[in-house]
Amino acid sequence: MTEREKYLEQFNNGLHRLGRVTMLSTMIILTLVPFIFGAIYGVSPDGKGFLAGYIKVAMIYLPVSLVEFLVYAPMLGVGGSYLSFITGNVTNMKIPCAMNAQDIAGTEPGSAESEIISTISVATSAIVTTLVIVAGVILLVPLQPVLQNEMLLPAFNNVVPALFGALGLKYFAKAPKIAVIPLTLVSVLCILVPSMINQTSVLIIPSGALALLIGFILFKKDKL
Amino acid sequence: MNNYLSQVNAGSFYLIVALVLAFITIMCFVFLIKCYRAGVKIGMDKAVLRKTITSSATFTLLPSVSILLGVIALSGTLGVPLSWLRLSVIGALQYELNVAEIAAQSIGLSGLQLAELNIENFVTIALVMTVGILGGLFFTLFFLKRYLKKIRQNPKKEKSGKPGFGAHATTAMFVGLCGAYIGAYIGKAVPREGSDILPLLVAAVAALAMAGFEYLIQKKGKASLENFSLAASMLIAMAAAVGFGIIL
Repeated sequence: MTEREKYLEQFNNGLHRLGRVTMLSTMIILTLVPFIFGAIYGVSPDGKGFLAGYIKVAMIYLPVSLVEFLVYAPMLGVGGSYLSFITGNVTNMKIPCAMNAQDIAGTEPGSAESEIISTISVATSAIVTTLVIVAGVILLVPLQPVLQNEMLLPAFNNVVPALFGALGLKYFAKAPKIAVIPLTLVSVLCILVPSMINQTSVLIIPSGALALLIGFILFKKDKL
Repeated sequence: MNNYLSQVNAGSFYLIVALVLAFITIMCFVFLIKCYRAGVKIGMDKAVLRKTITSSATFTLLPSVSILLGVIALSGTLGVPLSWLRLSVIGALQYELNVAEIAAQSIGLSGLQLAELNIENFVTIALVMTVGILGGLFFTLFFLKRYLKKIRQNPKKEKSGKPGFGAHATTAMFVGLCGAYIGAYIGKAVPREGSDILPLLVAAVAALAMAGFEYLIQKKGKASLENFSLAASMLIAMAAAVGFGIIL
């Protein structure tokens, strides 16, 4: 083993140690935050509600997290992975930012140089995002009375339809053949059984599973 | 001011979030400095390393503004401090909003509606949002070292033929997710007792705005709009909701 290889192995092991310690600390700190918020007002999270919500969320997002981990970790390397998964916005920001930095630096994918560039890039990106959002939040504070005006109530009460309208267009356009059946079935169900309308948190599970199944069949038939 | 909103926008909440984010930012600096030094040590050009920092900073500026727009969108129901925290760590706007809605329904609310929220609901929703996204961290914490080692030992086995279904699975999952919500808005718009056409109208405006952005991005080559398309489409639709609210 050359000096360089020895150094890089030590460096990587150190990065893993640091990454694991900071990641575990972050997980603990973040989980404590809702409890601290509650303690200030003498309330605590509702265990039953939490569990019911978590199971539904996990059914969708655990597989997504696994796929993201498997796909993105090799692109980001050791330090880049720890930082990206902690600071979030992986697909829409950290990955393009790291890829752009590696491109500019002209490093070979998978090399030690490329991993170093990716980590520096992700760290810089996370710091800049934090600073921009801090600046924005400082500007937002005096705007609170305006944002909480009664007239704006329909806007904030419809933030979820706004999200799924925009996302829906993007994903339906990407895979129209997958979209037709789940969308039609859920619509018909909600027209015929009005009590299902406020059960979207339940509906997303069969709808997601059906879309996956249709996607898989189309993929197997080479029709995607 | 609404009592719930004043509670979730309390000064103490801002302080807690600021402390958490300070910890994460310090951690980013530690990684940055460690990697910069390692780069120098293995003979990388300092100018290249510095350029990585400046190019990444400039690359991030615009998308960061779009995240800030997400904070505004989320803050109307969950307050600024939690929105600020959630969009600064781990997830992204799509995740946070969807999970907040799922959590709200799981505790018996009709959704993320300001009139139904109270501080107890808020802390439960915040906990579901936090724990629900820890999967990626969990996999990284326990499997990253082994996984990367394995990848390096078996570099790029060139697979013949087309890529696997994995590439389409996430798209399919999100198609199903969007289908469930849009289908519910269609059901809700049907004229009968308790019907409400506003969510469908808002979703339609958001879709139209997104279609406009997609046209500009794909047909007119305005790739820089990609960063803003989601948040901006949402804000346009939310603004339209105010107009619809007045008319309806």
